[in-house]
Amino acid sequence: MATYNKITPEIAGQLKAVVGEKRFFMGEDIDPNYSHDEMPIYGKYLPEAAVDVETTEEVSGILKICSANKIPVTCRGAGTGLVGGCVPLAGGLVLCTRRMNKILSYDMDNLVVRIQPGVLLKDLAADALTHGLMYPPDPGEKTATVGGNISTNAGGMRAVKYGVTRDYVLALTVVLADGRIIELGKSVCKTSSGYSLLHLMIGSEGTLGIITEMTMKLIPNPICDVSCLVPFRDVESCIHFVPKIKLANLDPQSIEFMDADIVTSSAAFTGNPIFPETVKNEDVGASILVTFVGSDEDELDQKMIRLGKIAEEAGALDVLVVATSSNKKAAWAARSSFLTAIEADTRLIDEMDVVVPVDKIPAFLIYIRRLGEEGGIRIRNFGHAGDGNLHIYCCSNDLEEEEFKRRVKIIMDKAYTKCAELEGQVSGEHSIGHAKMVYLRESVGEDVFRLMGEIKKVFDPDGILNPGKVCDAALRS
Amino acid sequence: MLKILVCVKQIPDIDLVKMDPETGNLVRAGVPTLTNPLDLNALEAAVQVKESYGGEITLITMGPPMAESTLRECLAVGGDEAVLITGRPFGGADTLSTSYSIVKAADMEGRFDLIFCGKESQDGATGQMASQLAERFDASQVSCCLSIDEIGDGKLRATRVLETGREIVEATLPCLLTVEKDNFYGRLPSLKDYLAAKTAPITTYTENNIDGLDLNKIGVPGSGTIVPKIYPPELPEPGRIIRTGSVKSDVAALMDVLTEKGAL
Repeated sequence: MATYNKITPEIAGQLKAVVGEKRFFMGEDIDPNYSHDEMPIYGKYLPEAAVDVETTEEVSGILKICSANKIPVTCRGAGTGLVGGCVPLAGGLVLCTRRMNKILSYDMDNLVVRIQPGVLLKDLAADALTHGLMYPPDPGEKTATVGGNISTNAGGMRAVKYGVTRDYVLALTVVLADGRIIELGKSVCKTSSGYSLLHLMIGSEGTLGIITEMTMKLIPNPICDVSCLVPFRDVESCIHFVPKIKLANLDPQSIEFMDADIVTSSAAFTGNPIFPETVKNEDVGASILVTFVGSDEDELDQKMIRLGKIAEEAGALDVLVVATSSNKKAAWAARSSFLTAIEADTRLIDEMDVVVPVDKIPAFLIYIRRLGEEGGIRIRNFGHAGDGNLHIYCCSNDLEEEEFKRRVKIIMDKAYTKCAELEGQVSGEHSIGHAKMVYLRESVGEDVFRLMGEIKKVFDPDGILNPGKVCDAALRS
Repeated sequence: MLKILVCVKQIPDIDLVKMDPETGNLVRAGVPTLTNPLDLNALEAAVQVKESYGGEITLITMGPPMAESTLRECLAVGGDEAVLITGRPFGGADTLSTSYSIVKAADMEGRFDLIFCGKESQDGATGQMASQLAERFDASQVSCCLSIDEIGDGKLRATRVLETGREIVEATLPCLLTVEKDNFYGRLPSLKDYLAAKTAPITTYTENNIDGLDLNKIGVPGSGTIVPKIYPPELPEPGRIIRTGSVKSDVAALMDVLTEKGAL
């Protein structure tokens, strides 16, 4: 990382003048959670100061001061990231957007909503529903901010039908490192108007600018939906079923994969064993949860009948229907609890979020399980089978932390190499942060990594925005 | 073959029901319905008995015609026959007249060896139906049942949960049981059963085709209780999180509140 200056009392006074005394924090008044995200295994780093911002102008004022004094600024939303993205590695200032949580306006003619970055995903989803609309991206962490979702280009369970967060961002207000305020994008359906800096900003993890307002696309809420659980004896036949669903032209909203271990953990955590561990007296090795939406029940019945036919041909143990409101609530509560369930019974945890071509999922899962067995590390996994995105967790309750890290590093190094062999990508939706930077570099190669570094320099010549993240290493070599 | 009766009830989604502050009435219009979750535990217990000992499960409910959807949901997860008791004269019934109506309609289907009920309904939550039905069926009753351990020779052995431990009891048939959910979580229907349940025949009884039905014992006339008023409970003052921006000012604000409330 570059060298930075400390926040002197004089600079602190300037920062305080922008946001007011009650929203400026130093020393023991800083929320200790600002030192980490949800993956504390990657280390804890406290900032020198923190501010809660409420307006674009405040963000601009703060960045002008930090830019002039070369103070590092790390933007933070709800802190639910998994790669150390919002952790202030270089100290300096944490700029928290959690108070910028207003849904500003709906444009019902164009189906767009204008919001601030600190709005939580669950709040946007619920509010859109009251307007008869749906915000399609559905990442598992519902208490994440939408600003954070944009910064990581989060995906989620409905990506197989609707795409990812990127596909729903129409326009952004962004504050650049030197405090300039720019507008990127418009509320239009298409554009062919020069380089898309909008899309460069999406997924840039607060390294290129600070997002302070977003215009997001919505769609009419589907009239009805139904889910089907398709259990198989083993992981391989389960995953091989996924392309068959897609080829059958069933247009599912989501295709989620879960193996037997995660189902057991989730049932213990939620207290509701909605996903069966045995079907027709046979142990379930892995299951696929498929969701369909449609305009009436008959349409959904026809899709389920076609699904049943291909499931039978694929050797599924059965097709179970999740149709009642109680069962839907229980099924999606269980599915959404997978990560929390793992965290609840695990002392040490590390994760990877690779995405591989769908047909390569079994090969990768078999490989990672073998690595876990060889390395004495418990592996838990689940994922978005429809788009090849796997969430793989390395867990231990017995090892010392240093030994755990040593063993996990060996597993991660080999697993990311395998991912590259299978033509996969380092991250499907959790992003790079500082935890996965070395693997990004290996994955994209030196030329591309250096280009990323050069782009970063154009936006942020002094490297004050979220230092040590994404492609920061390219600036040092 | 065991003849098993499972009593089920369609209820409004209680999370979505609101109360009219003027009239004190529950506003159910437009509120989605669901099958009383505790009845689904009872049904699962019945299905497990059927799987272990054989038998036939008859489902019974009383309600408006739309309650048919609850019967179809239950047919999809193990019910064999379904009975709907419906008609305006049954409306406004309390537990006394409801239990009477259910027993009279069930008698039309023959004698049952086992009767399963949810512990209570999530909307009314009186918990009275099971005991009233046991009395009217002249059946023994096992409540808070954790497991049904053995059935044979006209009796059953079951394990009950008590506040202080567990109790193993023996009861003669016919027997009415209410169950704990722990071992009886409802199952998901298979696609085949789900689709079949959509068109399965349902026996419908009204006030006109139940043998020996005394119209003075159903609906409002047959009810032993009246509900003069419904009102929401007074809620205690909600908690408040003090977050002024710094620990020092948080403590100062807390001290102010405690002083104001006379706690200091």
